Amino acid sequence: MTDRTTGTTGPSRAATVRRRGRGGAPALLLAPFFVLFTAATLVPIGYAVYLSLFTERRSGLGFGAPETVFTGLANYGRALGDPAYRDGYLTIAQYCLLYIPVMVCLSLAVALLLDSVLARAKRFFQLALFLPHAVPGIIAALVWTYLYTPGISPVLDALSGAGAQLDVLGHPLPAVVNMAVWEWTGYNMIIFFAALQAVPREVLEAAVVDGAGALRTAFSIKVPLIKASIAMVGLFTVIGSLQLFTEPVILRGASPGVTSTWTPNMYAYTAAFERNDYGLAAAASVLLALAAALLSYVVTRATRGRSARRTEATR
Amino acid sequence: MSTHAKQHRPWALSKAAVNGALVLVTLYTLLPLGWLLTASAKNTPDLLGGNTLTPGNFHLGQNLHDLATADGGIYWRWYLNSLLYAGGGALLCAFICVCAGYAFEVYRFRGKEKLFGLVLVGVLVPTTALALPMYLLASEVGIVNTFWAVFLPSLVFPFGVYLSRIFVAGYVPGEVLEAARMDGAGELRTFWSIGLKMVMPGFVTVFLFQFTAIWNNFFLPLVMLSDTKLFPVSLGLYSWNSQTHAEPQFYPLVVTGSLLAVLPLVIAFVALQRHWKAGLTAGSVK
Amino acid sequence: MSASRTSGRRALRLTATLTASALSITLLAACGSGGSSDAAPASDGQPVTITFWGWAKGTKEVVDAFNASHKDVQVNFEQIPSGVAGGYAKISDASKAGNAPDVFNVEYAALPDFVSQGAVQDITKLVSTDLKAKYLPQAVELTTLAKAQWALPLDAAPQALFYRKDLFEKAGITTAPQTWDEYRADAQKLKAANPNTRIGTFFPDDPSTFEALSWQAGAHWFTGQQDTWSVDINSSQTKSVTDYWQQMVADDLVRVQPSFSQQWTASLQKGETAAYLGAAWGGGVLKSTLASTPDASGKWAVAPIPSWDGKPASGMLGGSVFAVSKNSKKAKAAVEFATWATTTPEGIKARIASGTSSLFPADPELIPSAKAAFNTDFYGGQDIYSVFVDSSKSIRPGWTWGPTMGLTNNAMKDVFGKLGQGGTIQSAVDAAQQGTIAELKNRGLKVAQ
Repeated sequence: MTDRTTGTTGPSRAATVRRRGRGGAPALLLAPFFVLFTAATLVPIGYAVYLSLFTERRSGLGFGAPETVFTGLANYGRALGDPAYRDGYLTIAQYCLLYIPVMVCLSLAVALLLDSVLARAKRFFQLALFLPHAVPGIIAALVWTYLYTPGISPVLDALSGAGAQLDVLGHPLPAVVNMAVWEWTGYNMIIFFAALQAVPREVLEAAVVDGAGALRTAFSIKVPLIKASIAMVGLFTVIGSLQLFTEPVILRGASPGVTSTWTPNMYAYTAAFERNDYGLAAAASVLLALAAALLSYVVTRATRGRSARRTEATR
Repeated sequence: MSTHAKQHRPWALSKAAVNGALVLVTLYTLLPLGWLLTASAKNTPDLLGGNTLTPGNFHLGQNLHDLATADGGIYWRWYLNSLLYAGGGALLCAFICVCAGYAFEVYRFRGKEKLFGLVLVGVLVPTTALALPMYLLASEVGIVNTFWAVFLPSLVFPFGVYLSRIFVAGYVPGEVLEAARMDGAGELRTFWSIGLKMVMPGFVTVFLFQFTAIWNNFFLPLVMLSDTKLFPVSLGLYSWNSQTHAEPQFYPLVVTGSLLAVLPLVIAFVALQRHWKAGLTAGSVK
Repeated sequence: MSASRTSGRRALRLTATLTASALSITLLAACGSGGSSDAAPASDGQPVTITFWGWAKGTKEVVDAFNASHKDVQVNFEQIPSGVAGGYAKISDASKAGNAPDVFNVEYAALPDFVSQGAVQDITKLVSTDLKAKYLPQAVELTTLAKAQWALPLDAAPQALFYRKDLFEKAGITTAPQTWDEYRADAQKLKAANPNTRIGTFFPDDPSTFEALSWQAGAHWFTGQQDTWSVDINSSQTKSVTDYWQQMVADDLVRVQPSFSQQWTASLQKGETAAYLGAAWGGGVLKSTLASTPDASGKWAVAPIPSWDGKPASGMLGGSVFAVSKNSKKAKAAVEFATWATTTPEGIKARIASGTSSLFPADPELIPSAKAAFNTDFYGGQDIYSVFVDSSKSIRPGWTWGPTMGLTNNAMKDVFGKLGQGGTIQSAVDAAQQGTIAELKNRGLKVAQ
């Protein structure tokens, strides 16, 4: 799962002289990508839309061969009418409300600390903070599940030794949020840090001359200057959040509060593999892709507007 | 910087505060990794008894031996599969992306920006929303539970095309291409011998990104594969973790197996720092 | 050759006759391409190789023993996670993709679901009346759906109470509880003796214990008459079970932990959970779960499951069958293997002697073999099989599993998972009732109101 965090603008300046394609060279170079893109993105979506229009029906006590009937949009009605499916989106919304502010603030704070002249061993800190991103989500979830389990976790044992009882497994939402914060803070910190490094030095020197302290410089000068990066990270994280699957699935083994339909992805998976209801699974997936497309549209709109303004400003 | 000299004590204090805060956050990021390191040397009772951070009762050798022999040594098979899916997939994928990115940057053709817009939409469609439709299609076509069911979808990486276009713009000067063209070199030859070579650092970045993504992918192999011999490490560890239900002797195997599965990525990230930083910043700091 | 030694195995004898000449021919290849038809071994002398998925304890040993004693059929075994832990999803997935194994294990409760999905083959023609007569009638009943035979039963799963004798004694309890009232009183005594000790666990991730307890209480969740289902999940019998366990949870007399999870295993290891409400097969599972724990052995004992009125009564908790997958072309060989594994002393001995299984054979003739093979040191030498035999006689007849158990279980455990956050067992039961009826209707089936 990559978080496609970058990608605000298309390449703004072309370093090369553009030339007309000759001898079909561009077509040849583009073909592999677009053939695969069609096969692995466009066709599956089309096929899912097709499947979502059918339902299997049985007769008698249900032990005979099923028959597939066209049911139009009925599967969409069933998915949207199922409180469990709607709750999945609610889970995602709550997750975002908790996760995005925490993760963005933390990674921004760390980036500002690293950007400060006071920080030492910057390369070491960057690497150490980024390392969790190299850990596969499933392994991160496995390790954290151990660390969440009372009687097994050395952390919880130490806390309860100090008199603090934490029931993490009883609260799956914060438990999953913590896993995500751990995995993504370093990643986004690097983006913020790079943006901070690009802030023109003259602007900062002017602030020092004006007598602004380090904290004031950080919050009233540096942060506003990298607002576009922050907005972008926030919005792309929303899209990544729609995909939530691996972490809750692993946590489910220890925390039954995570239901089989906890996120829309889990709902689709359960429909396909535990209920064998492919029509419903297809409908749930198509709706999820639609939701993602809608959000993507908002994202591109919002970031395009912002970056255009930013380009104006720096010119 | 003369202000700092005047206020020497507060400066030292805030220096301690800044670095102290950084150390705290680093502790948070490194603690689970440290736990993984010590826990992989534990046997089942110690693991479930919570004695994981203490040294002593060192069973790493035993765990590695069990890991190598469990289910007929299938762990190494999973490891090889992962290397094949991630290594082969990312290599081919990076090449495909650079081809497309080069074409987008160097040539002018009709409908180009529309096509590039399609790539950008692809960047934004979540991959896991596609996994289930891909499964449904693959089972219709009959390639479910084959190597290709996991390998082919990993070659598609729209964000890599986007990155490649930026890298080509940055690394491949138009004059060089123009000169090659004057010398009468064919378009594909120019791409192969000049363009590809000059954009190599970008190629490595795209490779690294996709390698991580494939190595970490879980949902796609989960829905596509049922034959354990085709599993990548992530799915293999998941299936072993399910077996701990009735067979606690699998707990140490999962933990030790996890540690080994993390190593190649950690090494890659430490060794290739320059490249992932370049990738992360290419889009945002222009 | 040992297969033909046991008399009365018609299917086997038939196969043996068919292969008699084939056996003398040199074995050529190991790879099983011999599945050209429904028939037994191809005449070129190559053994039929069938694939088999399962997770029950000791299965690998059974397969090894079978392969060592059979030349006509060879079994390729793959261990999969238990059904609820992902095994069922894996079988469904493979079945849809057309690469299901020839034969696989499912629990009784899941069989109707798999039949309804079209994943299982009707093996009525391959199962003789003699063979059927070998199994407990309750087990045959549960594998017969719409008058056809769909699977061969491996074990019956009479319920039992596993408990730590030493911890019970320390709390002043001298005999195992016989009624649910006594069970509750003992729970209080155990907790009073040590505030960290609980008598048992409510498993929110797996409703099968709750289902077996409802069965024991006399509920009938599903009834199929002609072409109409009636669904009585929220019946009054279920309600007595619901109310009892709700109170146990509310009074903190049992833990709420996922079954066979890290927490559960850890609390057993530390002696913080003093008993386990399981079934016959649980004896082996418990033993291997605690195998690496020092000084656990010898402290456990087995008692009949408590009942409401003190008279013996039991449901069935789990219990597995061998089902042949829809597209297998080697059904005959698969049935031969399943017959051997479920009705021969060799098959059952191999399983029990692995030391990890204590299942209760669905073929009662095999109980002496199972008993002789099980090492009871872990239970202080107790004759645990006689407890299981008594319990098996008290299994209430007439229970039927519906064709939507995957959905029913999910509906129930999704609400069970919220027990800590204001959810109740009753609301889980209601959710299961409603969800099940909706699903049956969606499949186009008739439901009695």
